[in-house]
Amino acid sequence: MEIFFIITTLFITAIINLLSKRKVIIEVVSVISSLVSLILSVVVALKVASTGIYIPGSGRFFSIDALGGIIVLVLGLVGFATTIYSVEYLRQEVHKNVIGFTRMKQYFILLNIFFLAMFLAATSSNPIFAWISIEATTLSTAFLISFYDKPSAIEGAWKYLIINSIGLLLGFFGTLLFFTSIDLSSAGLVDWHSLAINATHLDPLLAKIAFVFVLIGYGTKVGLVPMHTWKPDAYSKAPAPIGALLSSALLPIAFVIILRYKAITDMVVGPLFSQRLLITFGILSIAVAALIMFNAKNYKRLLAYSSIENAGVMALGFGFGGLGFFAATLHLIYHSCVKVVLFLSSGNLLLKYNSAKIFNVKGTLKVIPITSVLFITGFLIVTGVPPFGMFMTKLYILSAGMKDYPFVSLIALFFLSLVFVSFLKHVTAMFFGEKPEGIKKGDNNIWLLIPQISMVVIIIILSFYLPPFLKTLINEVVLQY
Amino acid sequence: MNLLTLQFLSEIILLSVIFLLIMKKNFSAVSFYSLQSLVVVIILLNSFFETKELLMLLVIFIMFIVKVIIAPLFFIRLIKKYALSFSASTYLSTPITLIIITILVFIAHSQRLLPLTSIVANHQILLSLALSSMFLSLFLIVNRKGALSQIIGILSFENSIVVFAVFANLEQSASLQLGIIFDIFIWIMIASIFISMLYKHFGTLNVSSMKKLKD
Repeated sequence: MEIFFIITTLFITAIINLLSKRKVIIEVVSVISSLVSLILSVVVALKVASTGIYIPGSGRFFSIDALGGIIVLVLGLVGFATTIYSVEYLRQEVHKNVIGFTRMKQYFILLNIFFLAMFLAATSSNPIFAWISIEATTLSTAFLISFYDKPSAIEGAWKYLIINSIGLLLGFFGTLLFFTSIDLSSAGLVDWHSLAINATHLDPLLAKIAFVFVLIGYGTKVGLVPMHTWKPDAYSKAPAPIGALLSSALLPIAFVIILRYKAITDMVVGPLFSQRLLITFGILSIAVAALIMFNAKNYKRLLAYSSIENAGVMALGFGFGGLGFFAATLHLIYHSCVKVVLFLSSGNLLLKYNSAKIFNVKGTLKVIPITSVLFITGFLIVTGVPPFGMFMTKLYILSAGMKDYPFVSLIALFFLSLVFVSFLKHVTAMFFGEKPEGIKKGDNNIWLLIPQISMVVIIIILSFYLPPFLKTLINEVVLQY
Repeated sequence: MNLLTLQFLSEIILLSVIFLLIMKKNFSAVSFYSLQSLVVVIILLNSFFETKELLMLLVIFIMFIVKVIIAPLFFIRLIKKYALSFSASTYLSTPITLIIITILVFIAHSQRLLPLTSIVANHQILLSLALSSMFLSLFLIVNRKGALSQIIGILSFENSIVVFAVFANLEQSASLQLGIIFDIFIWIMIASIFISMLYKHFGTLNVSSMKKLKD
């Protein structure tokens, strides 16, 4: 029932936001809705951990396995953090006359529809419905990316719309090909489970073709190279909380869909085919992102490339399998949390300096010390510096690859080191030195800091202690996939 | 409908994509998209007569309204509003475009893609034609510089996938198809709004002249 309740709450919130003429109502309702979603997400994750697979209602529409449970939990968490941040962030933008009430209202309507679509995609028992929901995320976010109505934002959003639509249609074609294993005239609504148990009827060559289409299609949404071209533009032009959500929520959801098809493909042709594809896309993503990050001129684009790099790390982990799979799942959780810290802190930098160019942002440690410390902590976490959890996940992934793919692991290690150097170079340039004239000292409002602080605390806790239910979920994922 | 009629309809779809690739006027492009969608509706109608699922009839009717009537009307309104009589040019010249069309159609009919085109053995030619339309639609999206042409390319790609699904017996249940057509409808509306926004900010729909992201 929890999932029905989350979806109903988000839908009603979007409607209330649409009808409301008062700013405070929109803000309060949105925050309450995201809080309810968070609480229920935790309940869902706990239920999945205790039952293995949670099927609410008749099971016709929703079924949540361990991976789905993790994603629902992540979605609830980052959804709540970004909504809290969005309220104050948009207040500041309204105060600075960057946007008006209508834009703010539009933002919260689309934000809740975006959440709704993501929850549906993560929990739907039907692959086609999951596709429809992923497509709905594209539609709901297009206007959020073009939010500031500037030529560059419109161009970024257009690129996002076109590239993702093509990608998703390719993914749709791949999805349809997986249905060749089932007699659709008598099957009714086909769910993930039916696809899996009928996988043996799938022609192996067709299964390979189908998986390639699915990987390219949903890989576009993940932002794997070479389908990544929309990502830096969309992330850098969207408001900071939307960048955070694209990176920390939408990316893992698209990955989950790929993994579900991977499991089916593996049943037909064995794991080697999908593993090699994931490893190829993974290493390519890490290498390209690392090389571009070194010369990045815009800190939001830097974060976008960091997402591409981390998507590559996850693809490597899922490709290597075994310990790598476990580490990649954990990496996915850490990455979602840390990207909230980094993107929201980048929003604070933008509010203070009115520029996303690294060159224009200097001496931030003196100007906004708390935000700076949060950003630096985020940088240390995301680049895999010990003792944070991402150090261990990257280490596990690379060591999992050393057995069968030592050359790939070494190349990945080299580029991950390059990512650290690149990040360090930019962080040093931004956070030290003399502040530009005209920039007043003083950190942002506390509500623009609390979400990041909370996320850092969560990451630190999870780096040293995994709650039993989360450990169960991750172990279950490794077993199921 | 017999196989020959279905083949004829598939050829109309393929020809419509070829015309979309080489024609210069936006109005003609919209007309050919509308014709293509009408043929898709007819193919679906044929499928309905085999299954007799009533909800499917509703889906086909909505598809007819959305793809054959509403979408073209949206696009024609945009063409008139912004005086977009002529489509932005292509990246490749017409002779090279024609050569690539030939190659793509050849690939779609090649033995290499037999696993795809032999999903239903006696529909091999139909599936090859649908696959050709898919390839050409993708080529249309990347070869055209006009934003409107790109939108039509994506919709044509979607039409081709629908036709492929019908011929491969991969049609989804009517309720899911309703969801898909709803998505397409919203997509068309959003894409149309973006066309207006692009024109407002850039004064053109030529995507090659958009260079505001070079930071």
